[in-house]
Amino acid sequence: MRALILAACAVTVAACVVQGAEAPGFTRDVRPILQRQCQGCHQPSSKSGNLDLTTFEGLMKGGSRGPALPLIVKYLKGEAQPRMPLGGAALPNDQIEAIAAWIAAGGKNDSVATPADTISAEHPPTYAQPPVISALAFSPDGATLAVSGYREILLHKADGRGLVTRLVGLSERLNSIVFSADGKLLVTAGGTPARFGELQVWDTATAKLVRSVMLTNDTLFGGAISPDGKVLSAGGADNTVRLVETATGKELQKIGNHENWVLSTVFGVDGKRVVSVSKDRAAKLTDAASGGFLENVNLLRGELTSVVRHPNKDIVVMGGDERVPYIYMMDRPKVMKTADDSTLVRKLPRQEGLITSLAWSPDGKRIAVAGIAPQVNIYDADTGQAVASCKGHTAGIYALAFTPDSARLATGGFDGHVRICNATTGEVVQDFIPVPVAQVTK
Amino acid sequence: MKPLHLLLCIAIPAAAAEPVTFLRDVAPILNKVGCTSGPCHGAAKGKNGFKLSLRGYDPEFNYQALLYDLAGRRFNRADPSQSLMLAKPAQQVPHGGGLRIEPGSGYYQTIFNWIAQGVPYGDPTKDGIAKIEMQPASVELAKPDESQQIKVLAHFLDGATRDVTKEAVIASNIPDVAEVSNDAVVKGLRMGEATMLVRYEGKFGTVPVTVLNPKPGFAWKALPQNNYIDQLIDSKLKRLKIQPTAAADDATFLRRVTEDLTGQAPTPAEVRAFVASPNRPALIDNLLARKTYVDHFTLKWGDLLQNSRKFLGDKATWEFREWLRDSVASNKHYDLFVRELLTARGSTNDNPAANYFRATRDAKPTMEKTTQLFLGVRMVCTQCHDHPFERWTQNQYYEMTSFFSTVGIRPGFESGEEILFDKRDDFDVHHPKDDRVMKPKFLVGSGTALPDDANRRQAFAEWITSKENPFFAKSMANRLWSYFLGKGIIDPVDDIRASNPPTNEPLLDALTKDFKDHDYDLKHLIRTIVSSRVYQAGIQTNEWSATDNINFSHAIPRRLNAEQLMDALTQATGVRPDFPEVPADTRAEEFPDPHVGKDGFLDLFGRPQRETPAEGERKTDLSLPQALNLVNGKSISDSIGGPNGRIAKAMIAGATDKGLIEELYLATLSRVPSPGELDKGITYLRGGDTRAARAQDLLWALLNSKAFLYNR
Repeated sequence: MRALILAACAVTVAACVVQGAEAPGFTRDVRPILQRQCQGCHQPSSKSGNLDLTTFEGLMKGGSRGPALPLIVKYLKGEAQPRMPLGGAALPNDQIEAIAAWIAAGGKNDSVATPADTISAEHPPTYAQPPVISALAFSPDGATLAVSGYREILLHKADGRGLVTRLVGLSERLNSIVFSADGKLLVTAGGTPARFGELQVWDTATAKLVRSVMLTNDTLFGGAISPDGKVLSAGGADNTVRLVETATGKELQKIGNHENWVLSTVFGVDGKRVVSVSKDRAAKLTDAASGGFLENVNLLRGELTSVVRHPNKDIVVMGGDERVPYIYMMDRPKVMKTADDSTLVRKLPRQEGLITSLAWSPDGKRIAVAGIAPQVNIYDADTGQAVASCKGHTAGIYALAFTPDSARLATGGFDGHVRICNATTGEVVQDFIPVPVAQVTK
Repeated sequence: MKPLHLLLCIAIPAAAAEPVTFLRDVAPILNKVGCTSGPCHGAAKGKNGFKLSLRGYDPEFNYQALLYDLAGRRFNRADPSQSLMLAKPAQQVPHGGGLRIEPGSGYYQTIFNWIAQGVPYGDPTKDGIAKIEMQPASVELAKPDESQQIKVLAHFLDGATRDVTKEAVIASNIPDVAEVSNDAVVKGLRMGEATMLVRYEGKFGTVPVTVLNPKPGFAWKALPQNNYIDQLIDSKLKRLKIQPTAAADDATFLRRVTEDLTGQAPTPAEVRAFVASPNRPALIDNLLARKTYVDHFTLKWGDLLQNSRKFLGDKATWEFREWLRDSVASNKHYDLFVRELLTARGSTNDNPAANYFRATRDAKPTMEKTTQLFLGVRMVCTQCHDHPFERWTQNQYYEMTSFFSTVGIRPGFESGEEILFDKRDDFDVHHPKDDRVMKPKFLVGSGTALPDDANRRQAFAEWITSKENPFFAKSMANRLWSYFLGKGIIDPVDDIRASNPPTNEPLLDALTKDFKDHDYDLKHLIRTIVSSRVYQAGIQTNEWSATDNINFSHAIPRRLNAEQLMDALTQATGVRPDFPEVPADTRAEEFPDPHVGKDGFLDLFGRPQRETPAEGERKTDLSLPQALNLVNGKSISDSIGGPNGRIAKAMIAGATDKGLIEELYLATLSRVPSPGELDKGITYLRGGDTRAARAQDLLWALLNSKAFLYNR
């Protein structure tokens, strides 16, 4: 009988519904209940009772009270305390009975493989609307502009006059793109929201994915490569900073010094230290070799979203909800007095909207500031004087990248357009949609 | 917010649906399903990296958070159905807040369409709401267990109307009288009145609900009506089939009204005289003319205006008290009194009214104090966000604050003196969100802008004391009522808001009108209240009024406040406790501030420290430490046994048993003992030991009786 049902499932879902009327199944009867009623707490990122109910395997493995079968029924009925769902209404009897019946029938996993992924290098994503641009990077040779798309990186000619290659991967969102100093590797930090985080390492010469490192249960943010190219860093929604060996994908450090999502990371000049900024308002300096906390770079003010470093000095600029970019030296005196802010080099003017992205020009002279106000402001890094504003955007901007010669600045954001402006005058010299947008008809 | 008309040039299959905007369609869903609630993303720090404004009071903030946070992570333009904004609440990916929106439901489809249409914000001048309307406007249920569906309509600024019953939040203010279900069905549970508070996208409304009861056998027995108060109370009680209690006997009335008007208990001689020749109106006039009346109301004003040497120093505390005494003694009309306080300037030595600004000092707390005190409106929530249960906005908080930002305080020439002045510059109030300068603007009324060169405090004082002001007279009438009936018609008295409706609106309106018609004459209103039969009613209930505690069908016993109690003890025992800070014959009711006798009996019995202008800072509950103090406390036993006390004097004077017991009853309970009480008392006095010790026991027992501790 079971074999029959499984066979039916494999053929058509409709058949399954008709035939399976009396035999309880995991996919049809149990998983939807777990998904709706239990997964809020029993999920990989919180794992209440050390139990993960998002997968069949997690259910089998059980939690700190032992195997979940058949214990789960007792909890649902209130025979074991506390009754589940914790703090919520008891499940309707028929739902509890459905789970109990499935367990009584053997508690087997009847799930079929999820439908094959329809997106691949051969079948790249199609777009009905231009996607939000969350990351941009120029290759060190100045030939290529990498733009984030949905599940892909689009490599454009640096002048914006043509799409060259599409690097299609698994992550729906790419929150940062960086090239290695030699231009041979391209690294993204991203993932699929509320599902997984991923670091991708691409070989730019062959356009092949060299490595995919899956970390955390939500996307990664603010990836960086150490100056020698050997270590990757990224922040996570699990409040950690991860350091990964580029060559192997091995996780070197999982650093839990922050108290909220970590949104941006950057290495120091010698690669021995990492600065990470977080929604917890802190910019934390960490020893890359040991993962040990060194000190806070800043005084805590608003939530921070972005940090970038001067091209060859241990000076960083950071910004976020407070709308004010702060330029700090990375080293603070070990014995700090309360409100000691002597390492603050400069504050840049308050922006019109929350700051989302920062960029420091490769020649060290300019700092570009972007936020949810539709305008990028460019400042002289040495004096803090406003140099130019890049206008023409219609909504928030999330990504900035200077060309290697520091002459131009690429911007991208909510409206899905890439704009390239002159970094001295602010004039927009190129404006394009980086993805092919299909005319979709029903 | 700049309108976002990107993306829409591209044909989208689902876009054939009705146009959907954030303001009109999506924001109400987020509020309804709980995204913006306090324990969830509406928390001050948000939840799991996602913060929304509490209960959606700031739709623009929520829109920006949804769209722009973390590079628009909550939307998937390539595949709208995969958007986090749908997958999370539909629990298609793990969501700590659980399942909030059924996949495929109407709400799900609305959000889907909104994403597919390019997440438009909407036009606040069209998609904003003009008002909400409830149908029916009021509900009367003939008996408990009956139900009535309420319908909520939103009228948009572009003239469109929509049934938003499902999205509106409806709650009952007294859920054990009438409850309301999620789908807005009101059900009566017991006889009484409740108000349904309706909230939808920052608009508020109320639906009064009356649950009647067939009450077979009820027959209205009309009682004498002394004035309009009795008529308006009776008319409601009759409808609710509650039989009021008749006026209390003369001795009870004498003690009640003397305590309420003068803070003192009547003396044994006064009791005997009044019971022999009871003229209630004459008594009221007599009490209103006493010095103790001035003391009693000076004490109340001292509390509310935070007269304390903590804020003012020694000298100014006494001077402010004198100013208050003069104001009460001359029956200064309330509008003038408030105007003098609010516009006071110059030296605090020369003009003690200027002390008004010294307890709070800064513009924000001064504004909060002023609105709470004189309007009964609490603005404190709106410092950080729009009021969750009222129409007051954060903008109004800063507009109102700017009336007080010109007040400057600088040191005077003498020790403890300060000078109040009007600043000429550097008084701008900035909005915390975007730093813009907020111009002074009244909370209600007067649409005309204030001239730039106007004296802001002067203008404010004129506005607040104007007869057009909908809160000024009403809040004071309500406050005075609460002093005599134990509870405001709106209660707490300094928290007037739509969601805290009056229990008898016609009565409050009539009191307010009377107060205005007599040009804010406080004594007139007090006299009117205490002359009513409702005030004079007994505390007994009957079978029809047993469960009523809000409609003033009977009097409610109120514990004497700390100072009243101490003075009553003094009179009963004949021994005045010693306070080194004040002359020996000073009554507790005359103390200038809570510095006198600090941490002693008075504080134990709930004397306020005058840290706030809130009426509720004074406590009149009865706690265990208080009870223990009354039973075992040293001040009580010292007073009872004092060598110059009442009992010692009676012993020396050779009082008869009967005379002694009568005197003890009169001195404590302000009445003569019943024959039974007299017999028992005499038996006890003659029971052995020393007679004095037995008399002390009797006095002690009387002081621990509710009839002594409470005004009833």
